Amino acid sequence: MTLQARYADVPVETKQRLFDEVRADIRFKDYLFGCYECGICVAACPSARFYDFSPRKIAQATGREDLGMFYEQLNDDIWNCSQCFSCLRCPRGNNPGGLITIMREVAINNGLTSARQALEGYGRVVYKIMSTGTQVSPDMLQPNAFPDWGPHVAEISENLELWRRALPPETLHTTTTAWYVDDKTLTELYLIWHMTGVLDMIKEVDEGLHMILNDVMEELLEEAGYSTA
Amino acid sequence: MPETVLVVGGGPAGLEAARTVAQLGGRAVLVERRDVLGGTPDESHYAALTPNMGSAQEALDILRAGVRDPAIEVHLGARLSAFAGSAGDFTASVTGADGATTEVKAGAVVVATGFQHFDPGRETQMYGYYEHADVITLPDAEKMLSEHRFVRPSTGEPPRNVAFIQCVGSRDRRLGNDYCSKVCCGVASKEAIEIRRLLPDAKVYIFYIDMRMYGYWENEIYWPAQEQYNVNYIRGIVTEIVAKEGRLLMKGEDTTMGRPLEVLMDVIVLSVGMEPSRGTREVAALLGVEQNRFGFIATPGEPMDPVGTSVPGIFVAGAAAGPKDLEDTMGMAGSAAAKALAAARQAGVRTAGAVS
Repeated sequence: MTLQARYADVPVETKQRLFDEVRADIRFKDYLFGCYECGICVAACPSARFYDFSPRKIAQATGREDLGMFYEQLNDDIWNCSQCFSCLRCPRGNNPGGLITIMREVAINNGLTSARQALEGYGRVVYKIMSTGTQVSPDMLQPNAFPDWGPHVAEISENLELWRRALPPETLHTTTTAWYVDDKTLTELYLIWHMTGVLDMIKEVDEGLHMILNDVMEELLEEAGYSTA
Repeated sequence: MPETVLVVGGGPAGLEAARTVAQLGGRAVLVERRDVLGGTPDESHYAALTPNMGSAQEALDILRAGVRDPAIEVHLGARLSAFAGSAGDFTASVTGADGATTEVKAGAVVVATGFQHFDPGRETQMYGYYEHADVITLPDAEKMLSEHRFVRPSTGEPPRNVAFIQCVGSRDRRLGNDYCSKVCCGVASKEAIEIRRLLPDAKVYIFYIDMRMYGYWENEIYWPAQEQYNVNYIRGIVTEIVAKEGRLLMKGEDTTMGRPLEVLMDVIVLSVGMEPSRGTREVAALLGVEQNRFGFIATPGEPMDPVGTSVPGIFVAGAAAGPKDLEDTMGMAGSAAAKALAAARQAGVRTAGAVS
């Protein structure tokens, strides 16, 4: 519909198929009504302050069925969202963050290169959250652990012991609880990953990680009487 | 003999004013230029009304039935040719198509001479209204929709892409029409819904400066158009239309996306606004009521008196006083009728008192 800049080489049928997949999601009708283009979501969005990112444009492109822009966003924008849902203050009841949730799932399920690249640095976090249900533990703070934490992590790591002693509260006391999770909880968690298709999703973006997770889960699930085959 | 109110104009405002005068026990003389009653909604083939989407003709029939009353004298194909007097004692000459003139005595007057649609070819040719067959106006689209069809005038085929351009002839200092015409956002959205109903495969765009959908028009027209009928609202006004490969190339800016816009359309509908009708200008001059700088009849008592004119005993209803939707028009008509009858009676009482 407009002068197209990026991804002109991707066939329109591909863009349409992915768009249709987003629109067919059961949540879609509750996440997008009409857009006033008023910008209240952008004003509330923390990511929009730091990146060239706009939840308004997500709602607009989806509402207008602008396939070119949708595909650009699917590749280049959705990973800039911090999924805080501040955008829920929309006067029309739209949920741009929710649209992004759906778009991320579609991007991953379809093994989009951009999705793989976006998640590349987070193998460790994904492993932690899927194997234990908690995201990080204090002992995971290492110089190159989290690319999105910025360059200061390396700086802080140099004298991490000193920093820890300088801080009044305890900083390592949750390490044990972050790694030890009750077997019953883990069994339920692993079943959720299996049954909701999350584990299959991981396969699309990181086959190695998928294999490791499968191994971790297999034993416990089989002990609990579930077949993972 | 009951007091008489002269009603000039047989559109929705005039019909409602005459009916109200009769209902209040007065006598009305209704003068209409055309041979049929109904005014612009009838003359311009309105299909469905905004916002309730009901049939325009059915709505007009109710108003037409309202003036079938022994207390209402209707002159069709007639014009006001002379006017004199003051509140309580006006004399008007009503000239029919055959040239015969009738003298009417009236205690008060309601002017309901309405508006005309802006002619998009009049001042500039920027949208090529008289150049491209597929560039049409809101009333042109109404005419097709009233026949339950919507096609490209150049080919007779249904369009794939349809665009509405808002504020054509309104909110434009260069044209001298600074005002908002108030109804075009709603009417364009209503037509967009009708087009999407007729042609589910067509994409419909509305290019706007601000969408102005007052009160319930918001949730009754604007939201359904966008949410149920997938009409695309794009903030940005088209600068020009050129013919390209048998279609129409529109150039503008998608302002909220911050990028230029060049799109091929099959039909472009210009959302033309309201201007005072020729009848409004002529009748205002004949009656000696002040007009505002746009040519509409001035209402110096605003905001508390939207129907009083500069001349005591002469009232105005509907779009003769400026851009009005039908809700405003009907409210004004009732108010103007009641005030006109009251003015005529008051003058009558004064005259009677002077005689005794």
